[in-house]
Amino acid sequence: MTLPLTLSVAAILFALGVFGALTRRNAIGVLMSIELMANAVNINLVAFAHYTNGVAGQTFALFAMALTVVEVAVALAIVVLLYRTRRDIQIDLASEMQR
Amino acid sequence: MNAVQLALVAVLLPVAVALFLLVAAPVRRAGWPAAALSLAGAIGSLIASVWLLWRQTVLPEQALLEEVRWLPEAGSSAATIGVLVDGVSASMLVVVALVATCVQVFSVGYMAHEPKRDFGRYFTWHSLFLFSMQGLVLAPNLLQLFVCWELVGLCSYLLIGFYWQKGSAGKAAVKAFWVTKLADTGLLLGLIVQYAATGSFGWGPETVSTLQAAGAALPAVGLLYFLAVMGKSAQFPLHVWLPDAMEGPTPVSALLHAATMVAAGVYLIVRAYPIFAASEAVMTAFGVVGGFTAVFAACVAVVQTDIKKVLAYSTCSQLGYMVAALGTGSFMAGYLHLTTHAFFKALLFLAAGSAIHAVHSNELKDMGGLARRMPVTGAAFVIGCLALAGVPLLSGFYSKDMVLESLLHAAQEHPVFWFPLVTCTVSAGITAYYMGKAAVLAFFGRASSHAEHAHESGPSMALPLIVLALPAVGAGWMTGVMANLWGVPDVHFAVVHFTPIGIVATTLALGGLAVAWIKHAQGGLGGLDAAFAPLGALARSGIVDRAWDTAWRRGVLVASAGLAWFDRYVVDGLMNFTGVGFLEAGTVVRRMQTGRASDYLWAISLGILLLAVYSQARMWVG
Amino acid sequence: MIGTIALSALGALMIACGIAVVRARDLVHAVFWLAAMLIATAGLFVVLEAPFLAGIQIVLYTGGVITLMLFGVMLTHRDLDAAIPNPVAHELRAGITAAALAGALLLGIWSTDWGAAKPAATVSVAQIGAHLLGPQLLAFELLSVLLLIAMIGAIALARRTDP
Repeated sequence: MTLPLTLSVAAILFALGVFGALTRRNAIGVLMSIELMANAVNINLVAFAHYTNGVAGQTFALFAMALTVVEVAVALAIVVLLYRTRRDIQIDLASEMQR
Repeated sequence: MNAVQLALVAVLLPVAVALFLLVAAPVRRAGWPAAALSLAGAIGSLIASVWLLWRQTVLPEQALLEEVRWLPEAGSSAATIGVLVDGVSASMLVVVALVATCVQVFSVGYMAHEPKRDFGRYFTWHSLFLFSMQGLVLAPNLLQLFVCWELVGLCSYLLIGFYWQKGSAGKAAVKAFWVTKLADTGLLLGLIVQYAATGSFGWGPETVSTLQAAGAALPAVGLLYFLAVMGKSAQFPLHVWLPDAMEGPTPVSALLHAATMVAAGVYLIVRAYPIFAASEAVMTAFGVVGGFTAVFAACVAVVQTDIKKVLAYSTCSQLGYMVAALGTGSFMAGYLHLTTHAFFKALLFLAAGSAIHAVHSNELKDMGGLARRMPVTGAAFVIGCLALAGVPLLSGFYSKDMVLESLLHAAQEHPVFWFPLVTCTVSAGITAYYMGKAAVLAFFGRASSHAEHAHESGPSMALPLIVLALPAVGAGWMTGVMANLWGVPDVHFAVVHFTPIGIVATTLALGGLAVAWIKHAQGGLGGLDAAFAPLGALARSGIVDRAWDTAWRRGVLVASAGLAWFDRYVVDGLMNFTGVGFLEAGTVVRRMQTGRASDYLWAISLGILLLAVYSQARMWVG
Repeated sequence: MIGTIALSALGALMIACGIAVVRARDLVHAVFWLAAMLIATAGLFVVLEAPFLAGIQIVLYTGGVITLMLFGVMLTHRDLDAAIPNPVAHELRAGITAAALAGALLLGIWSTDWGAAKPAATVSVAQIGAHLLGPQLLAFELLSVLLLIAMIGAIALARRTDP
């Protein structure tokens, strides 16, 4: 029962993260939603590590956490830069990607 | 050396020279070295040819065939390339090599004032031509013959357009090329039909019987080949390029457009005679077309004022004799006339060239009285003229006599051959008249202002005249030898013999010469002009040219308009449709790229969803 | 059984926090809800017998990430941010996508026969360390390089370019 339950929690958190990423218009809000998704992934890793009783899953989770931190650091740097150049961090206004 | 090696020397020596001159531009541009090399090639080819002919004459071997496989196919080859040495090809080899050598020697004097580059270019094309012609003569199958046929056409184009700075020469070259090219499609199509029907490019008995079994294929192939012959050998109505081809240097006219290249058409008939002889329709076509060309071209020749044009139409007319004679089934008559004609017509052209060189004009009225100032040239022209007219004991007499006799025999069996018989007999008289007129106007009577300071040409031009005059006089006496050589049995030959038709023709010829003398040297017979006036107007109007021009232009223009429409709306339409289609699709697809990060995120989520659904579906299905 | 109950409780808490994170009107609130969710996750890790990871989770996320986020929000905060509502169609589209995703994942999870779990045992820190510096040494070293790159990159990005 433990594994599917944990996985379900992770799945719902992941879906919430997707929803947040789609609806948030503030870049940091989007970033937090992404954190939500990353956390769901971490939960999955740990759940499977527990299920298979292996050490690899936990190690992987550690790596994933480190990557998340890296991502947050870089993303926040981008947000700050965005804010500095446009005085605004609304991402649906940031349609420069089209050009 | 054996016969095959000799033949290979005869054909490969000129091409070696030609290729060397093509590649070694400095030698070519130096002029004289190129001429020396080309002459060496021609003389080498001549020696090998004469040697080969001697061997064939004293040791009448069977035909020697040496081939290598070409266009390999599984197990065998679609075609071969090689040499076929027999009496027919051996004698033609000598004719070609002899005339080519004489013309090249003559050209050294005639073209001496050309710039060095052009001089070298001229001899390069001559070497290439000699190779192509020898290759054509030795061809063991029609495919190789076709290749060489196109090569001589190319040389003709290059040499007619030698004075390309002159617009008319360029036009004449292009005209010659296109008219013969139009005709050559016949040869190409014929080859395709023949190969499809028999799987062979040859003319052996098996091929002919297979063709015969294939029903309509035999006359179709024969008529298609005949179309090419009409183009190459200037038969009505495809003769229009030959008079224009006189824009080329006169020695070129002597070699290509009188003696050898135009005879290639007749040679094709001679070579592949079994194919033609098997179909009565084709033979009848030979008789009718040849007969009409003989008289038509002779009449037009009468009203020409340009000495080269007179000779050009005369060539058309004589080629008509050959074709008509071959139509009767008399291989001997046609081929003998080809051989003798090559000698005396080359002689006539070279003599005319010598005269033109002296007075710097082609017009008969600018000449006159040249015989006293240029005795060798005058004698050569008169000999050629008498030979062509068919004066007894000269070469033309024997061959023309044989042609008329064969036509008479044929007419007794097939009434349709009365037509060529009558036209050719009448033409004999007309020929004598216009040749006599040309000889009288150019070489006798009062000299025009141009001709007053003319003097005999140098040895390089006089020598070939003397050399060519010998066979022009005496080739006919070798008729018996040639008949043996060509494997034609029961030709009874005597140096002096008169057949009834021969007497008629000879009388007409002598009469024509006499009329020419009386009218143009004595100033009598004023009414004759009036008789020829309508013909002159007709000739000047260039009605045949005009008809071709219209037909060709209309045909080409209409076809081009159709093709242009197809190109514009179908080919381009397809292209444009593709382009515009992608452009429109791009505009549609572009809207998906909003540039808003949330939209991309949504697309990513959708992708994940699809993956999840896919894995679920797989689990349930699997 | 106790594990299941604890899991359910923690899961419910986490989902509630998650909803709050994505729906909170004020970003600062959202950050705190995120912190709460991350701490709950650490609790989940404890239940799943990964105490070391739980510790790391608290130290790294609440100590590092949340602080960073707060700084980010404060540095870039403007009052009108939350004022602009999303179009309803947009929200609906996102909701449907997320619901469908959750549905598909849950369907997958509950339709799979997971079989019996192995007897669980706590993985010691020593084991993780041995694994990190043993089979995963290359990945570990690469990760340290990545961290360095990220550090330099973040500084380079956020640095004021004008003198």
